[in-house]
Amino acid sequence: MNQVMTEEKLKTELLTLNMGPQHPATHGVLRLEIKTDSEIVAEVIPHIGYLHRCMEKHCEHLDYRGIIPFVDRMDYLAAMNMEWGYAIAVEKMLGQEVPRRAEFIRAIIGEMQRIASHLMFFGTYAIDLGAFSPFLYAFQDRENILRIFEEVSGARLLYNYMWIGGVWNDLTDDHLQRIALLSDEIEENIKKYHTLVGENEIFIGRTANVGIISTDLCYQYGLTGPVLRGSGVKWDLRKNRPYSIYPELEFDVIVGEGKKGQVGDCWDRYDVRMREMHQSIRLIRQCLDKIPAGPIMSKVKKVIKLPEGEIYHRTESARGEIGYHIISKGDKVPYRLKVKSPCFTHISVLPEIAPGQMIADLVASIGSIDIVLGEVDR
Amino acid sequence: MHNQILELLNGAVPGCNAILVPFVKQEGLGVGDDVVYVEAKLISRVCQTLKSAPQFDFNVLQVITGADFVDYLEVTYVLASFTKNLELLLKVKLPKTNDSSLPKVDTVTNVWKSANWQERECFDMIGIEFVGHPDPRRILCPYDWEGYPLRKDYKVQEIYQGMKVNPEHKMNFAERDFTNVQDLAFKEGRNVVRPELKGKQV
Amino acid sequence: MNVNANPEDEVTVKEYFGNIWRAISTTFKGMMITFKYVYSVKPVTIEYPEVREVLPDNSRSRLFNNADDCISCTQCALVCPVDCIYIASTPRSKEDPELKTSDGTAIKQNLTQFTIDTALCCYCGLCTTVCPTECLTHTTDYEYSQYTLDTMMYDYLDPEVRAWKDRLVSK
Repeated sequence: MNQVMTEEKLKTELLTLNMGPQHPATHGVLRLEIKTDSEIVAEVIPHIGYLHRCMEKHCEHLDYRGIIPFVDRMDYLAAMNMEWGYAIAVEKMLGQEVPRRAEFIRAIIGEMQRIASHLMFFGTYAIDLGAFSPFLYAFQDRENILRIFEEVSGARLLYNYMWIGGVWNDLTDDHLQRIALLSDEIEENIKKYHTLVGENEIFIGRTANVGIISTDLCYQYGLTGPVLRGSGVKWDLRKNRPYSIYPELEFDVIVGEGKKGQVGDCWDRYDVRMREMHQSIRLIRQCLDKIPAGPIMSKVKKVIKLPEGEIYHRTESARGEIGYHIISKGDKVPYRLKVKSPCFTHISVLPEIAPGQMIADLVASIGSIDIVLGEVDR
Repeated sequence: MHNQILELLNGAVPGCNAILVPFVKQEGLGVGDDVVYVEAKLISRVCQTLKSAPQFDFNVLQVITGADFVDYLEVTYVLASFTKNLELLLKVKLPKTNDSSLPKVDTVTNVWKSANWQERECFDMIGIEFVGHPDPRRILCPYDWEGYPLRKDYKVQEIYQGMKVNPEHKMNFAERDFTNVQDLAFKEGRNVVRPELKGKQV
Repeated sequence: MNVNANPEDEVTVKEYFGNIWRAISTTFKGMMITFKYVYSVKPVTIEYPEVREVLPDNSRSRLFNNADDCISCTQCALVCPVDCIYIASTPRSKEDPELKTSDGTAIKQNLTQFTIDTALCCYCGLCTTVCPTECLTHTTDYEYSQYTLDTMMYDYLDPEVRAWKDRLVSK
């Protein structure tokens, strides 16, 4: 009689699949080597470095003003937040005062940039999971924001707007009025998008209880931003270590609650970002009420020289905490500039949460972490 | 806070020689960060002490950087506590070796898991070997690249896998050749093309 | 849907029909939003190339240098982060007639070369802010792609390039 082939006698191997550098779901040039056991993922090995432009070496021979166009090419989808973080780090070490009107303008523009980045996340996350129309709806709103940015700074994506000591151009009253109307419109639209995508049963079925990141794992891997808040930790740099004019503004810190599944799953991270957009609109409205008249740029020396020593300063960008570590020896150029990018640490948690999921769940997990490869590779 | 940290470290880890180098504030300029230096041999125990101390609770390692000061290398560990809202810069100095081997320091991946990728980047860019690291490969440069880009004496390699790294037809030296400029007086006159670029490798 | 339930657990009849009702109702609400977009929102696509978008005045597109106004201070070349501006000049002797720019500054140097490598330029706008006579400006022209890289080196002393002034620079 034929021997019954038990599972131990069957010789099985893990299949190595390459989710290559060119892939629509990896949000950039990220290569994932996936070892699968039929549909279940056994191991994920990320390979990065396809967009490495060695920005840190370039910055060692550029003066402090000339680094700003380089800095906003890192996270090109939230460039204003990158420039803001760098400008605050240099101004802190220089002891430079920033005029009050410039601080309010920076807050308005920074929060609008956060909304634009989260809208981009919403559109691309939906299209990763197969829903094609929310992508264009989100991009129409984002287009209105980028049009205002173009009129204010001159460019749509890479701005060079937040200079050391203030901002480049002023916002006219017409701009402020349009920003107020735009915030009302976006607030209405976000509620519609939540009904369209967030409450949809198919979306919930694909994202709830998938890619759960526990609090302990967050601390071990150093995750920050919406990923940390989605796991239930109430930590926001704008409230805990406030910078600029955030001490005067009121807003809530959004934390994931596990409404549709467990705390820390993909639906929580999506929900945290959608509700953060509402808080950003609340902040913009407060800034528009309080903005004073005055100069937008303080007097900065022609040649900027930082004192000897170093500084590490971090601010809250749309994707996490961006940190700048500047070592200076008293020259016109920094001796060493290191950027702590949030997406670099976020990708390192993938080998930990991926095993045990199916490949489609892996796509949902990568999308919910919201990475931009320009920031990972610098 | 820094003085309490020094007390704790010098008491719990004897021999680590923790010293504080405060930032020297100059007239009319701003403030930077104070730095704590420790001995490189005991970095793993120092980090473990800082993580498990209940009054500090440094539970997050934010970044590990390296810098090349010409006679020595320096590794910076930026620690943060999300429960007590603190931040600390910890540094070690590693002397450069005369031969081609890399300066060594112990890994801290057993204390924080985020050190895994941060140490790989430090190895890739500055060339420091982390003893005991579970996965010592390059991360940003290709896996068979030679040289450590962020060192001050780094020269890029000529050939990589049979391809020229900087082929002449793609470098724009030729566009800066002024021999086809009609005005011959130019050759005796002032050449105003960025004097600091003279002799610099482009 | 009770997503915490194990797939092998039994589903009660009430839960079964509850799941179906929830799936249908949420999908229906989503489709209503989509139909609203199909029928009542006007399309916002700009039909390029028949309709061309007019960029705002301070938009940072193609660079133009008015070479008659340039005093060869080389501030733009020094501040450029990617070093794409190549300038060469010779001093004017005292015997040459006096030249002034359009806003009255005296020109003390003969400009012999002013070339910008537009393919290398990162459009940051730093060069235009430091120019003291405002001869180097950003225009709003965005349609200037070429097939080869060497045609992207703009020599602003060339008479053909000078003739762009009327088309590009707004008053």
